[in-house]
Amino acid sequence: MDGFVPQSVDANAIRLGGERHRNVTLTAKKDCNQEVSMSGRRVWSVGLLAAVVAAAVLTSSVGGQSQSPTPAAQWPKTPWGDPDLQGTWNFGTITPLERPEKFGNREFLTPEEVAQLNKDSSERATAERRKELSAAEDVELAYNQFWWDRGSSTNRTSLIKDPPDGRLPLTPEGRAQRAAQNKRGFDTWADRSLSERCIVYRPVPVRSTGYNNNNVIVQAPGYVAMYQEQIHETRIIALDGRPHLGGKIRPWLGDSRGRWEGNTLVVETTNFNVKNVYEGSTGNRTVVERFAPIDAKTISYDFTVTDPAVYSRPWTGTMPWRKVTDEVFEYACHEGNYSMVHMLGGARVQEKQLAASPSGRVTRKR
Amino acid sequence: MRTWTIGILSTVVIAVAIVAGLILIPTQAQSPGYRAPRLPGTEHPDLNGLWQALNTANWDIQDHSAQAGPLVALGAWGAQPAGMGVVEGGEIPYQEWALKKKQENFANRLRVDPDDFALGDPELKCYLPGVPRATYMSFPFQIIQSQNALLISYEYADASRIVHMSNPIKPPLDSWMGWSNGRWDGDTLVIDVTGLNDSTWFDRAGNFHSDALHVVERYTLVTPDRLQYEATIEDPKVFTRPWKISMPLYRHAEPNAQRLEFKCVEFTEELIYGSLKKKTN
Repeated sequence: MDGFVPQSVDANAIRLGGERHRNVTLTAKKDCNQEVSMSGRRVWSVGLLAAVVAAAVLTSSVGGQSQSPTPAAQWPKTPWGDPDLQGTWNFGTITPLERPEKFGNREFLTPEEVAQLNKDSSERATAERRKELSAAEDVELAYNQFWWDRGSSTNRTSLIKDPPDGRLPLTPEGRAQRAAQNKRGFDTWADRSLSERCIVYRPVPVRSTGYNNNNVIVQAPGYVAMYQEQIHETRIIALDGRPHLGGKIRPWLGDSRGRWEGNTLVVETTNFNVKNVYEGSTGNRTVVERFAPIDAKTISYDFTVTDPAVYSRPWTGTMPWRKVTDEVFEYACHEGNYSMVHMLGGARVQEKQLAASPSGRVTRKR
Repeated sequence: MRTWTIGILSTVVIAVAIVAGLILIPTQAQSPGYRAPRLPGTEHPDLNGLWQALNTANWDIQDHSAQAGPLVALGAWGAQPAGMGVVEGGEIPYQEWALKKKQENFANRLRVDPDDFALGDPELKCYLPGVPRATYMSFPFQIIQSQNALLISYEYADASRIVHMSNPIKPPLDSWMGWSNGRWDGDTLVIDVTGLNDSTWFDRAGNFHSDALHVVERYTLVTPDRLQYEATIEDPKVFTRPWKISMPLYRHAEPNAQRLEFKCVEFTEELIYGSLKKKTN
């Protein structure tokens, strides 16, 4: 690399120096793919009602549509009596948070549209497709297809189901804040995203990205723990009704308290670090997540975000979490974050070249 | 007659005491007669809780005096407290070359170079601490133990370990926190840790290992609020024989005890990337 840094590439795509890190992702992804491809064929043998099973199979491309949680009495329990949500769950999806304008008022996609979107996603970065691309377009695709594990369409046009237009109800201030939050530069690390800095990859509520969309749930009396593959942090959710932390303690992932409503785990999170920006909001948002088991392979994950300064009303999104049986691997991110060194270092080289260039332009070497 | 009776009685009392003593011999250093509460639905002790070491092993796992810290500006805040070592027998059986390397590590412990991520103490840069160091950093960690799974969540750097309890798996590759397979040996949780990379240290004194490190940890609840911790360290590339560390871990007993968050990346960015920041005039 001669100091040139592509301006619009996902920085993770050029975090190639981190060999250990890359291998981890590769291995994990391969296994996840095998699981995802198999999940539709798995026979589910937990002793629930046949009708529930049939419903689950029929709606295996879950979209939060026409699905009701399993009755509380029928759901497996931990020995201490809590609904048992334990296991490894994948929340990957290509459905966007906000509804693209072209869909107007439509909430759901047709089966043909879902199939097409899934096909496009699965072929997005294949070798065949890349042959036709210019070098710049190829760089945009970043990793090859083997790497990606985006998940599939939920069959909704947006994850947001309320408001009904599928869009964030941003106030003017919220809109301005979101634009500012999405601004990137190369002057310092602080100009880069929280994920590129290896501080937060999965905000609360969780966001699906290109790979490693995995979460391991382990329960103990009084607690639910959620281990996020990215970035190897565990959300520990107390269930004992204790009050939230005082306002001066503000973790990046906020402070979570949970309770059971039937089989549904309801988690309220507050006290976010003010720097933990999320879709226009800062540390003042309150997030209520609802984890409702649908069948042995599916949790319906609903999340409601409230922040009156930036949203004109609370809004709610929904996406499925699907159970997988593969192992989750360590996602070491900060330990050798070559991409940060290369991005900042590259920008400094460009500045020097610019200063030395009589034409005021920098020529890219190939 | 009287003497004889007393003699018999004494013998019986001594015998009973010996038998009782044998029964109550503190295996796993357990307090005599202590039987840990079981996790509901299992035969195993309930190790759930927020635990923390109460020692200075993270400064140096061997004996060390109090001494000034390396940064004048930090005054007494940055000074090293005195502490007794946690290495059984006191000495770490380094191979000759490795002892030199340890001394080199110590000399370089505060050095940081964006082009050489291996330089300096990994803790200084907020890197994952590895095992066993994660156990005795000055931060608590929480054990989440269910009927069939176990997770350890460390406050420092958000490090986490999934302990494979029912499905021992060979590590697929090396990582910072390694690969943990767990089992019960009576009332002791035994975790076999392999697949550790060569990038973590044991402490701020530069004690180190290679990627051949194999750690066997033993966790035994010896009183309601004390978890005895023992780790056997094996690394034929660096040491001449296996060696052992041990220490008690204590339960956070505050009613509102909570594992907080120490995402320290943010505190190290200036240190690591500062030289690459745009210069402002």
